Amino acid sequence: MATTDQEVNELIKKGYEHGFVTEIEADTFEPGLNEDVIARLSQIKGEPEWMLEWRLKAYRRWLEMDEPDWAHVGYPKIDYNAISYYSAPKRKEDMPQSLDEVDPELLKTYEKLGIPLHEREKLAGVAVDAVFDSVSVATTFKEPLAKAGVVFCSISEAIRDYPELVQKYLGSVVPQGDNFFAALNSAVFSDGTFVYVPKGVRCPMELSTYFRINAANTGQFERTLIIAEDSSYVSYLEGCTAPMRDENQLHAAVVELVALDDAQIKYSTVQNWYPGDENGKGGIYNFVTKRGACIGRNSKISWTQVETGSAVTWKYPSCVLRGENSVGEFYSVALTNNFQQADTGTKMVHLGKNTRSTIISKGISAGKSSNAYRGLVKFGPGAEGARNFTQCDSLLIGDRCAAHTFPYIESKNKSAIVEHEATTSKVSDEQMFLCRQRGIDPEQAVSMIVNGFCKEVFKELPMEFAVEAGKLLEVSLEGSVG
Amino acid sequence: MKPAPTLSSAFLKPGGQSLPAPLLALREERGTGLVDMPLPTRKTENWKYSSKYLKLADEMATSLSNEGKPGPSLPAPGYKVVFLNGVMMPEASDYPDLDDIRIRSFRDLSDDEAKTLASRLDSTLDTDAVQMARLNSARFEDGLLIQLKPEARLDQPLFIVHEVTADASGSAFPRIFVEAARHSQITLVEEYISSGSEPVMVNTVTEFDLADGASITSVRLNTEGDSVQHIGATGVRQQRDSRFESHTVGFGGPLRRHDLQVRLEGEGAECKLNGVVVTQDKQHYDNHTCIEHVAAHCNSEETYRNIAADTSHAVFNGRIHIHQDAQKSNADMNNKNLLLSNGAEIDTKPELEIYADDVKCAHGATIGQLDETSLFYLVSRGIGRREANVLLTMAFINELVEEIPVDAVKETVQVQLNQFFEHTFQEA
Repeated sequence: MATTDQEVNELIKKGYEHGFVTEIEADTFEPGLNEDVIARLSQIKGEPEWMLEWRLKAYRRWLEMDEPDWAHVGYPKIDYNAISYYSAPKRKEDMPQSLDEVDPELLKTYEKLGIPLHEREKLAGVAVDAVFDSVSVATTFKEPLAKAGVVFCSISEAIRDYPELVQKYLGSVVPQGDNFFAALNSAVFSDGTFVYVPKGVRCPMELSTYFRINAANTGQFERTLIIAEDSSYVSYLEGCTAPMRDENQLHAAVVELVALDDAQIKYSTVQNWYPGDENGKGGIYNFVTKRGACIGRNSKISWTQVETGSAVTWKYPSCVLRGENSVGEFYSVALTNNFQQADTGTKMVHLGKNTRSTIISKGISAGKSSNAYRGLVKFGPGAEGARNFTQCDSLLIGDRCAAHTFPYIESKNKSAIVEHEATTSKVSDEQMFLCRQRGIDPEQAVSMIVNGFCKEVFKELPMEFAVEAGKLLEVSLEGSVG
Repeated sequence: MKPAPTLSSAFLKPGGQSLPAPLLALREERGTGLVDMPLPTRKTENWKYSSKYLKLADEMATSLSNEGKPGPSLPAPGYKVVFLNGVMMPEASDYPDLDDIRIRSFRDLSDDEAKTLASRLDSTLDTDAVQMARLNSARFEDGLLIQLKPEARLDQPLFIVHEVTADASGSAFPRIFVEAARHSQITLVEEYISSGSEPVMVNTVTEFDLADGASITSVRLNTEGDSVQHIGATGVRQQRDSRFESHTVGFGGPLRRHDLQVRLEGEGAECKLNGVVVTQDKQHYDNHTCIEHVAAHCNSEETYRNIAADTSHAVFNGRIHIHQDAQKSNADMNNKNLLLSNGAEIDTKPELEIYADDVKCAHGATIGQLDETSLFYLVSRGIGRREANVLLTMAFINELVEEIPVDAVKETVQVQLNQFFEHTFQEA
């Protein structure tokens, strides 16, 4: 018996050594979802008991919920028991060994977007030298961040290293039972990002998932938590302009932002997942819950998004404006082509005095796609002197596409002022004529006009992102003219 | 999950049997379709903000008796048809008997005529979207059929007064069907009034079918008492170059709901929808409009204004749906709201659903209070604060009141508005 005990003890110790980045060879779970699966998932990730309980609570809520059907999108029913909820990071042997093995179509797109060669490899999922990668990242990013006291790590690491912060804020903005997809995410989230900016710190650089080590395989249920303490500032970029290779069809992410007194969070997204082919086959389902809470006085949360990918998008980055004088912003460009469907918008919930929000949404639909803006602006009884301005414009390219606007406006305070306007138009013949007359070919002319249409939003993006976003629209619109 | 409440079967027992057989048959058929109909809840999208006001007690299911006499006649310069609790009162009515304009009670139709009518009732409505108004088709006991022959014109407005006597609990189901042939013209005023103070439900359906070039101006004035739950639906179908103009003026109640659906089916058709809603105390009013641009080259223009005082609740939901073939459509929707008190609530949702690219569509919505600087300007020029409030509130809706084409209605509205101002703005 003594030996067995010893062995066991050794085993336990061994597990400890590897901590959270244990290389488990337990490849992929069988498809299906039940409490055992969640327990196994939590165990593999080495999570503490409270985390498992939290996940199970979410799972039980999820079981009682119905999949929402109010969005203006259609897709075949998803069988949640046909999905595998854990898959170990791919081993190098299974990945494409060089760019020669990658789909030439994908490479062509990289070419057009002007992506540097070594980045192309990474994006296409080619097995690159991880050591080179992590060293460069560590030196250029980790050091200055550590110096400033900013925590920037995976959510799994955060659960281990900063349990009190995670326990305090996880689910505080998007509770487990918030909606069907959020509940699912809370039960089975695979990994994600955690950012903590201490009091008075201005984060010295733009944070981006793209540069975080281990970010490559966060899986389909991503969870992000960003906390900005008093008087801090952080700008976070999510996604990248290059199309991401991904086998998972369903993506249900949750993003929570918490801004305390005088804090500012700027969250920019460029989403360009596989939208399916010209005939509408395949493509990612992107069902995301993003919400920020302006808890503190004078806090500010700003969402900027450029959405060009995914077959079906269901996404409403929101702000709960609780703190006095807090500000919420939403700038969005959503482009759909071929058979893509997007139902996206924002919610601005004004609870505190003198809270302000701005919504600028630009929807572009081309091909046979459908693009809907759905927004809620709500003033609670305490939203004295609150103000909202909303502008949502739609641009239609081609006569088989659709553009919709569903703005909900609710006011319970007489001193609150809301203004909403929306227009729908197409690329006018006059504009095209002017461009053609000056020798610009039709495709370029459309892209120029579309870029002009989106300018208000692009100027909110970090500079290098803005340039890429312009190019991205050009690529996404290909084939929609003529 | 708790199962959604369903319509009590008590509501599916129709009263009077005096209708021609085909209409009785239709009524029965529609009734069977409503068995176990789920009642709207907070989760029902088109009743999201109003379901909590819908209170249907079983006592309210019985049809109100139409034995009584209608109340004192209202000033109606023009022709007049009076309905008491959903049944036409020929003695109280006064309208011409013309060859090219036939105005008749459903009860006076021959079986053949009733058969034709039965096939056309509900044809202008998307009944899925007006689920509560479907009850009317299962319960109506009479109705008004107006048929205009080609080129016919009624020289004066026709007032249709719907009175309910809320002396006992019950319900009434007034119904109107207007058939306007080629290039005919008519101006109609629907007036909904009540007496008594027992809880009653009024469930109305009005349908307008406009042939090529026909023109209908419809005015709807709602001033029922505080015990009346009013659920109304109006369906409009327009053919080529026809024109429909509607002026809805409503004062709140425990539940006020009006659905207005317009289908522009022929090229060149146009509609103009105006609406004014004023609520006070704990009142409620919910206007849902839907304009379907089915054909190309159609125009629609919609302007609605809500004023909510005290702890009242006003709702507006405007939907514009441009179908795929409706190129060159022009649609403009505008909804402005005035909140006069902190306990009041306004919810608005101006929706656009567009499937064609060569269209011009715009909508705008605002919610706010009276502008402090404007008030200051008036007060600084010696106008009392109360007077200034009244002036600015009146200015907010005056443009729409002025556009009402029937002077008598304008006057009635003004009287109602004055009462509202009296109630809302106290002397400082």
